[in-house]
Amino acid sequence: MDKLEVPNNILCTKSHEYIIAEKDIATVGITDYAVDQLGDVVFVELPDVGASFSKGESFGTIESVKAASEIYMPVGGKVIEVNENLAKQPELINEDCFEKGWLIKIAEFDKSELDDAMSYDEYKDFLESNEEEE
Amino acid sequence: MDSLKRTPIYEEHTKLGAKIVPFAGWEMPLQYGSIIDEHLTVRNKVGLFDVSHMGEIFVSGREALDFLQKLVPQDISKLFPGKAVYCQLTNKTAGIIDDLIIYRLEDNEEYQSYLLIVNASRLEEDFDWIEFNKKDGSYDVEIDNQSDNMALLSVQGPFASDLIEDMGLSKDEQPVKFTIKTACLDSYDVLISRTGYTGEDGFEILIKNENAVHLWQEILEKGQKYEIKPIGLGARDTLRLEASMLLYGQDMDDKTTPPEASLSWSIPSNKEEDYFGKEIILSQLENKNMSKILIGFRMTGNAIARHNYEIYKDNEKVGIVTSGGIAPALKANIGLGYINTNIPTLIGTKLDIKIRDKFFPAEIVKRPFYVRSMRK
Repeated sequence: MDKLEVPNNILCTKSHEYIIAEKDIATVGITDYAVDQLGDVVFVELPDVGASFSKGESFGTIESVKAASEIYMPVGGKVIEVNENLAKQPELINEDCFEKGWLIKIAEFDKSELDDAMSYDEYKDFLESNEEEE
Repeated sequence: MDSLKRTPIYEEHTKLGAKIVPFAGWEMPLQYGSIIDEHLTVRNKVGLFDVSHMGEIFVSGREALDFLQKLVPQDISKLFPGKAVYCQLTNKTAGIIDDLIIYRLEDNEEYQSYLLIVNASRLEEDFDWIEFNKKDGSYDVEIDNQSDNMALLSVQGPFASDLIEDMGLSKDEQPVKFTIKTACLDSYDVLISRTGYTGEDGFEILIKNENAVHLWQEILEKGQKYEIKPIGLGARDTLRLEASMLLYGQDMDDKTTPPEASLSWSIPSNKEEDYFGKEIILSQLENKNMSKILIGFRMTGNAIARHNYEIYKDNEKVGIVTSGGIAPALKANIGLGYINTNIPTLIGTKLDIKIRDKFFPAEIVKRPFYVRSMRK
């Protein structure tokens, strides 16, 4: 995979979602590591705009050639936009998970719920320590 | 747990950047890059697979034909030297112990010689069953499991024949569809057959372990002009599903009979010799009294079916998906599954697949999903 530009205000979860919070709106997607593990993404199921989820709740499904994986909310909030392009071009997630391959935008979230989320550097350390355990 | 085995090609896979996964007791390449790209390479160009995990059992002797006739519903007496046939090993209740290809090798009537290529996951079961029946029936046969000494490389795709020609075996010398012959390929003695598990034209090459790496490298080298790629088990699975070929352990097991698995096409109704499960199989062929049958379906709604998803008809559960996924060359979502025979099983029958607690429409379609002539 080509090296992607990693947004500098990104936070990541142990279940491999990322969140980029800007003022009242946050963008949620899956990390480059998650994309690498999945391989070709062939189908994405996203929630309806207006739906609300709590932190840790499954808000959709990403399917690769091999399997279906659930995706979880890094923070509780209300969906205000979903990436409609993914319906026809799920491969955008493979090409650029941070920009064109984002999943949902949320509002009405509580920033304090992100206290346990990791910076990208911390996330890389987390992945490395996980590999060592294996 | 026993440690995982490695094929002689293992180091090549890691050099090529393969993602390695455990499969049937082996460390095998799942993919080298994109599974979809590997799939389309086999459909449009040519791909090279390491399938050395497969089992090779040689059965030979004065009574080899009689012996094999007892083990499989297929009529092995129809095989001329060099001819191959798809068949199943069945048990006494007609359950499928394994599915396999039996190749008749160059031999004579007094001393017949056959090669059985079986699934890696079933090799031990198969071998024990074959050995047991040899003793039980006092057959004068020799059974030789060569699986640990032989590698199997598979070259599949529309340019497979051109590539094999470039490897030194002219098209006139190449085995024709569903036959096998001994040949000299890249200065090595091999058994080469015109068979595969992809729905494409292709060859399977059986070679001694110690020569396998060199042959692998030569095929990749000479295949460059056809844009050859190594292909992992991920694409092997999507290719076989798109060609609607069954996978043992998933689409059939020892509690499934060949007619239930929609394999009746591989069972002659007029074979004279007795074989395990014959009475049940013939009754099912004649009376169509199976309680379940394997069908192929295509999703008409936008969703992907997966192994073990439930199949519904008019809000009633009628079956289960055994293989499901995407068909990259058809740009469709397809699957295989078993449905009860008390509902219509005809092509066009509407079904619903339960996916994450929602129903998505599907329709029974003609198999195979993909045939070579569909290629643009």
